[in-house]
Parts: sequence; C-alpha cells; structure tokens
Amino acid sequence: MDGQQELLRQHQIQQFVYQEVRLLDEQRWGEWEVLFAEGGTYWAPAAHDQPDPVQHVSLMFEDALLRKVRQQRFKHPNAFSLQPFPRTSHLVSNVMIDEVDEAAGTLVVSARFLMHEYRLEAPTVFAGAYRYQLQQSADSWLIDQKKATLVNCEGALPSSAIYF
Amino acid sequence: MSTLNPEQLVFPDKVHRSVYTSPEIFDLEMDRIWGQTWVFVGHESQVANPGDFYSTTIGSQPVILTRDHEGAIHVLYNRCAHKGAQLVGDRCGQLKEFRCCYHAWRFALDGRCLSIPLAEGYADSGLTPEDPEASIKKVPMVGSYRGFVFASLSADVPSLEEWLGGVASSIDNMVDRAPDGELEVVPGVMRYEHDSNWKFFVENLNDMMHPMIVHQSSSLTARVVAKRELGKDAALPPALEIISPFTESYAFFDDMGLHAFDHGHGYSGGKSSIHANYSDIDDYNAAMEASYGKQRLEEIFAVNRHNTVFYPSLTIKGAIQTIRVVKPIAVDRTVIESFTLRLKGAPDELLKRSVLYCNLINSSANLVGPDDQEAYRRQQQGLSSDGGEWIPLSRDINNDEELEPGHWYAKGSSDLAFRNQLKAWKTCMSKGD
Repeated sequence: MDGQQELLRQHQIQQFVYQEVRLLDEQRWGEWEVLFAEGGTYWAPAAHDQPDPVQHVSLMFEDALLRKVRQQRFKHPNAFSLQPFPRTSHLVSNVMIDEVDEAAGTLVVSARFLMHEYRLEAPTVFAGAYRYQLQQSADSWLIDQKKATLVNCEGALPSSAIYF
Repeated sequence: MSTLNPEQLVFPDKVHRSVYTSPEIFDLEMDRIWGQTWVFVGHESQVANPGDFYSTTIGSQPVILTRDHEGAIHVLYNRCAHKGAQLVGDRCGQLKEFRCCYHAWRFALDGRCLSIPLAEGYADSGLTPEDPEASIKKVPMVGSYRGFVFASLSADVPSLEEWLGGVASSIDNMVDRAPDGELEVVPGVMRYEHDSNWKFFVENLNDMMHPMIVHQSSSLTARVVAKRELGKDAALPPALEIISPFTESYAFFDDMGLHAFDHGHGYSGGKSSIHANYSDIDDYNAAMEASYGKQRLEEIFAVNRHNTVFYPSLTIKGAIQTIRVVKPIAVDRTVIESFTLRLKGAPDELLKRSVLYCNLINSSANLVGPDDQEAYRRQQQGLSSDGGEWIPLSRDINNDEELEPGHWYAKGSSDLAFRNQLKAWKTCMSKGD
C-alpha cells in the first residue's frame, strides 16, 4: 500500500468513526445497528486491565439481541429513566489505525472520545478510549467489536442508559 | 440535635419524610447507625495473602482491611497515628508494612508502630513507638462469618453471630453452593452512584410491589424481543432468562414472601424467587452432588432467596452469587458497589452467569437498574417538597406471622420489610437522646 492509499484509508476510517458516533448522537439506532458484523459486540469494561467480558463484570457487554432489547426499551412509554430522553454529543479524536491484517481484511482502530450527556439539570461528561475491531465489507467496514473504556470506569458512575 | 427527634419520625405504620431528606438526620445516622453496629467491610478473599490490603469505609470513616504476615485479619482506621494523613491512597494492594507518605512513621499490618524517624526527639515527652498512642487506631470489633468480614466502630454490640441471627443462613446458602465450600471475590467492582438516600436502595430490594411496574420497559421488552427474534416457544438465552422474570405478577411476588429478623435484617424469596428457574448447568450439578450427596444438594438448591439485607450495609443474592455494598455519602447521595463471587470448585458457567447478571442488573449502564434509580431520585425530590409529611408503612400491618421467636413472615406485597428496617433504625437512632 502506498502513501496515498494509506492516507485514503486513514480518511475513510475517520469518516467511519465519525459517522458511527453521529448515528448515536442523532438517535438513529437502526442505522447504527447495521454497522455491526454478525456476532459483533459492544463492550464497555468496568476496569482498565479487564481481561475479558464474560468472566469479569462490565458496564455493558451486548450482542445483537441485547442491543435490540436496549434500543427497543428506548421507545417504551414506561422507560422512566429515559424521560426526557438524554441528548448527547460525542467528540472523537486521535483516530489511529493500530493494526492491519491485509490478508484477513481486518483492522484495529483506536480513538479518544468525550461524550457530553444532558437529560435534566446537570450534564454529565464521560471521557475515554475507543477500540474498534473492524472487518472489511464490500465498500466499508463492519464492527466486530466496539470497546469503550471510560477513564473512570473503576470509579462511581451515574446512571447511563445509552451507548458511550 | 435540634428539632428532629428520631423517636417522632418512625411509627409502626408510617415514617416521616425527613428520615430520607434531612442532612441532620444523615449526620446522626453516621454516628448512631453506621457508627454503632456491624458493617460489612469486605470478603476475606479480597485480602487473600499476607500483606494484602483493601481500603473502604464504615459510614463516613475511612478504614483499611489488612491481612498480616501471620494470616490474621485487621480493620484499621486509614489514618496515620502522627499527623493524621491517610496511610493508603489506593483501593487495594500489597504491602510489607505501612509507611506514612508524610513523615515516614512505619506501622505493621496490625497497626503497631514500628519506627518513628529521629524518635529520640520525643524522649522528653515519653512518646515512643511502643506507646499505644503511636499505633494506628484499630476498629474495636472485627468478625468474619464464613469469609464475610464485618466490623463495628463501637465495642458495644452483640457478637457477630448473634447479630446476624436468621440471615446468617443466606450466607450459608451462598457458600454451600460452592462444591469446595468457599467463595472468592472476582476482580472488577461496579460502583454505581445514586442521587438519593441510602435507605431507598436498601428498602427497594425487598419491595415486591415495584418490579412489575418499574421494570416494564426492560423486562416486557425482553419478552417481546425474545418472541420476535427467537420464536414464540424458543428457550430463552441466559440474558433474557435473567431480565424476563422482573415483570412476574403480583401473585408471583406475593408467593415469594418476606422474612424479617431483629436488627433490620430480612430476605425475600425462600422456596421460589425470580432466580429459581434458571437453566440447569449439568457439570455444576454433578460437582455439587460429588461434594454433598444428592440429599444435601437438593436441600441447598431448594433455598432460592431473592435479596437478603444485612441492615444497613450489605445485600446479597445467594442464588446468583453477587453482593452489593451500601456506601452512604450524603443525605441525597449513595454509592452502591457490586461484587461477583466465584463458587470454588464450580465450572466457569456459574461465574459467567453471575457476571452476566451483574452486567444486566447492577451496572450503572445496565438495562434494569436505571429505572429503580430514577424512582429513588424522584422520591428524593418529591419528599423534599412540602406536598406531604408521612409515608405509610401499613400494608398488611396486622398480618405478620411469627414463624419462630424473632422470625417474622408476610406475603411479598406486605410492608413488613420496611417496618422491620425502620424499627431497627428507630432503636439505633433513639440511643443517646
């Protein structure tokens, strides 16, 4: 891959990441869900050195079925903790391609994020690292895993029902 | 204490809102409840090896749980005997000894002072490392029941076993569910901040009138999604098996029943609970049978308690191996810490189910708990208004049944658990007036 192709890929990956969090901010859950590969997971660990999401607790670890439950719950008239529904602004930066496996068509991408969440009086700011495991699809990428590690995932956290 | 007299705030049939909203009452609770009774500090497995420490709080007091080089457990104030600096800043770790960050006084893991730099400078005052005043102050009462360590800031308490009374059997059942008869805390603690008084959380655990209302958005949705995605008669995957029962009927929760004991303790569920119908894990059942024999195994599995409250500080779910620790921060601020425990000798599937349960129910970003938290938050706000003074506690007030001395039973929808907790609250809070 020459320099120009690398630059293009960096640009495309950034656009992918920006689009992913834009869909969250704009509450376009259906379109967001399409970004996941079959078997793709969303993971927000509860510790920085957490070795896995199945034998150690996580803030969230969701496959497609659990994401459906969460997203369907968003629309439920008795989802009291989501009334009013929180608005968010995700800012993503430091997008870097950390690993490339050309043969497998997979990438590992890291980024940093700030999520400003507002529901009632006091806004909350969450900050942390994203790590995307992506696989090449026809003309874009699909998410095998999106991992969102809050800088304070080990600290006391307020309720949050939406995706970081 | 100015105008608020605890004796006039709790009656058998009602509680005054200031019990949940008054900062003065909160300060008094730190002294008379959290400072005068057994409070859960940690599990022995959190300090498994000599030199391990775990720092936590008893009410407003910072303390350290340590294991010394002889293997004994201690609970010390996290305060240097010299100028008062906290001795450890981290939540947990390994130490040969304590060395204060400020002037390097050194202490053994049982709190004894080992050395003072330039100690001869104190010669005229008689202060030496051997002086008890030079040692870290120990929390006066420490006890462990099958690995669960409790401590009391006051020496004037009954023995731990006596205080636990009828709820010790909930710890027994959790431990007995381990084929090797031991539990181990798994690394990873969830800390969930609530904008509300600690008692809302503790009361809610045995409030059997709320799940079918508060958890509609998660539990009913899980049922709908399961049917749509998996088919009407398909077996539920473990995650949905956990979420779905929260919207069982009033009759189901009534049938679970409530049990109440002295000191505010109690549990819901007995033979049945929302945890009773999880799928069997064959290897586990085999390991249990090998350890205990078929008859004893059936006795252990027949106990299906929902939440057990060790008032005020600890709540456990024996059947799912999670515990939640209550940390009051301010009158309207509480942190709930959730731990998962591994059943030693059990296959990993059991731990995976506990982890899944904690993720789904106890995490700050979970699918079920935020609606509880929202109810407490609204209660905190609503009770701070002048729209009313009293909260009734009178549901089924004349139907409590005394199964044996000091062991009361009522159907799930009764207010028994609240009455019992607040009775203990009143007893503690009235001391010293």
